[in-house]
Amino acid sequence: MGVGFVVGVLGCAILVHAAYSTIQYRGVLKIVEEEFSGPPMNVVAELLLGLALCMWAGLAVPTKFLSILPDSEENRIVSLPANLDFMIFNHRGKVLPTNTELKLKVQDF
Amino acid sequence: MAVLEDGTEKRSGENGDDMPIFNAENLQSNMKSIYYSRTFLSIIGGVVAGIWGFTGLMGFVFYFLIMATASLGFAAKAKFSIHKYFDCWNRILVDGFLGGLMSFVLFWTFAYDIVHIF
Repeated sequence: MGVGFVVGVLGCAILVHAAYSTIQYRGVLKIVEEEFSGPPMNVVAELLLGLALCMWAGLAVPTKFLSILPDSEENRIVSLPANLDFMIFNHRGKVLPTNTELKLKVQDF
Repeated sequence: MAVLEDGTEKRSGENGDDMPIFNAENLQSNMKSIYYSRTFLSIIGGVVAGIWGFTGLMGFVFYFLIMATASLGFAAKAKFSIHKYFDCWNRILVDGFLGGLMSFVLFWTFAYDIVHIF
């Protein structure tokens, strides 16, 4: 997550810088009273660089692909999970006396 | 349809049918990863299109270019052995292609306004 994040932030910073350069370029064009046909070459290069960095970050940062084949190395099922049918509780309740003939005694207070 | 009771849901086929078995949980995780990537790249593509000054059809062409490059990127990320991570090619090539279009147009107009109008 670390490197991809930094690359993404760097790409965005480059894009912001390109936006600022374009705003200034337009300001200059207004003074000279020319038409805006496209950003200057260096801004275009900056845009493409920023785009490339952000694209790399956009592909690298989200979680990597997990294999979906059931017989690949990381998908080996080793244990049965929480399924009540297979849970065995080994507790001391088994030594308590069980007398199914016990009845509740009615007590007079 | 037989479902194995061992935690990871597996989709399997009936007897006689030859359907592939795969781990659906991991497939969903992979699809989510692709969705996040496409959304992020739509936004970034929108900002770049706005700064560059695209208007009209050129912008949409740019969007399709970005999405096509993204598909290529996903194929590369899966090391070109698609069937290990997805059940068919459509998942990385076609799914979610138009999902980022709205975000793209939003950030495209946003960036264009900031850079070229105000």
